[in-house]
Amino acid sequence: MTTKKKILLIDDDSDFLMATKLILESGGYEVFLAEDGKSGVEMVKSVSPDLTITDMMMETWGEGFTVVSKIRSIEAGKDMPLIMLSGVDLQGPYQSFEPPEESPKVDMLLHKPVKADDLLKYVKRLLDN
Amino acid sequence: MTEKTNKELILVIDDEESIRDGCRQALEKSGYAVITAENGEEGIRIAKERKPEIAFVDLKMPSISGTEVIDILSRDIPDIVLVIITGYASIVSAVESMKKGAYDYIPKPFTPDQLRAVVKRGFDHRNLKIEARMLRTEKEEMERNFITFVSHEMRSPLLVIEQYLEALRTVAGGCLDKNANDIIDRCNKRIHGLKALVEHWLDISRIESGVFATEKKPVDIPGIIMRGVEEMAPLYHIRELSIETDISEGIPEITGDEESLVRVIVNIMGNASKYTPGGGKVSIRARHDEYYVRISISDTGTGIPQEKLPFIFEPFYRVKGKKEEARGSGLGLNFCKRIMEAHGGKIEASSQVGKGTTFVLELPR
Ligand SMILES: Nc1ncnc2c1ncn2[C@@H]1O[C@H](COP(=O)(O)OP(=O)(O)O)[C@@H](O)[C@H]1O
Repeated sequence: MTTKKKILLIDDDSDFLMATKLILESGGYEVFLAEDGKSGVEMVKSVSPDLTITDMMMETWGEGFTVVSKIRSIEAGKDMPLIMLSGVDLQGPYQSFEPPEESPKVDMLLHKPVKADDLLKYVKRLLDN
Repeated sequence: MTEKTNKELILVIDDEESIRDGCRQALEKSGYAVITAENGEEGIRIAKERKPEIAFVDLKMPSISGTEVIDILSRDIPDIVLVIITGYASIVSAVESMKKGAYDYIPKPFTPDQLRAVVKRGFDHRNLKIEARMLRTEKEEMERNFITFVSHEMRSPLLVIEQYLEALRTVAGGCLDKNANDIIDRCNKRIHGLKALVEHWLDISRIESGVFATEKKPVDIPGIIMRGVEEMAPLYHIRELSIETDISEGIPEITGDEESLVRVIVNIMGNASKYTPGGGKVSIRARHDEYYVRISISDTGTGIPQEKLPFIFEPFYRVKGKKEEARGSGLGLNFCKRIMEAHGGKIEASSQVGKGTTFVLELPR
């Protein structure tokens, strides 16, 4: 048996972390949790995850992108697959959403809530690449 | 004097030197800073540069007239208070200028005391105006924050519950029997209902705070109808309802917000599908005359009792129904009404119990 792949989850809602952790664990992954961007970035260094899932963090608009930039600037995070989750419907008629000019590389954008099957499917696909 | 730069600044635009000097003397004595201009062009240039609090403008001047000066200053210099100096107390042109944005007028000849009285009134008016604007901005800001706050606080827990239900199914997976899965489905349905309620309520708050429906662009009526039809087609298919459209040729564009108008059509079509039994039909017609464009949406559904009709546009009003699909927030039609009003239009309903209901949307061209 190979060792379990490591996934880091960054979200400021501890319940959302818990629910998503359960789903990922059912897929056989080892899951690490960070409740804010700062400790998330630290954990990329200390844990060296195979994949990271981060919230877009709506309260401080766009904070998720800052977190991703920081992750991308670390050796362990430079080429790691990264999924961003958004809590708002970006297709909606009145959300004036604009990602920052120099948007750092995100491999996939998913909307909350995420279907368990979808999440596991995309995670597997990104890890297999 | 250190407070020199803080002095309130008054501009006098008049081609008569004696008036400029007289005003300067009287007003400087009362502690104001005074600048003068001897014609309209110079006055406008100085005003844009120095942004005076009050400007006196002579109505009769060579080249640019006082009325034009007033027009430009009231448009370009926020909060400036404009006072007309009028030679032969000609009420007609004074009234004309007041319409254009002047606040007061002073007939020639005037005494220093009369002048100072007008200036004092002008400053009082200005302060009130600024204060009112600040209060308004503050109120709007609070409303906007409130919407953002509440939407986040209400949506987040719902989203987390949905995610937990997903996790529950994944974790418990095979252990769940049919009953347990049904319960999860029902939970999901109720969560969706609550989410829709939050969305509706947010839409309405957005209209109230002016965030919504403020886009004013040309809107193609057949276009928005087709967008509504396309969006609802899958649901109509499931509920076995047919859609019929009859859109006359040459319907003119109207001015408004396309997205919110599509929401209105989707809302009404959604209602029609909820209250019309399978096999029924929903017809959408669009017509126009000299003044209005009208879109009518009729269904062959259960109808609304006559005595209930006047209330259906009220927030949270719902005609009691037992059918599960007929659950709703009671905010949909209120939303539609507000959007229509924001467009200067209206929405009306007529109905016959057992036969069907027709909603008419009327938009000014
Ligand atoms: N097409 C229709 N046929 C019959 N009743 C309708 C129709 N549209 C609206 N109603 C009645 O008007 C009420 C208010 O509608 P609405 O504001 O959209 O709220 P809801 O979310 O309850 O549908 C509904 O509860 C329903 O009883």
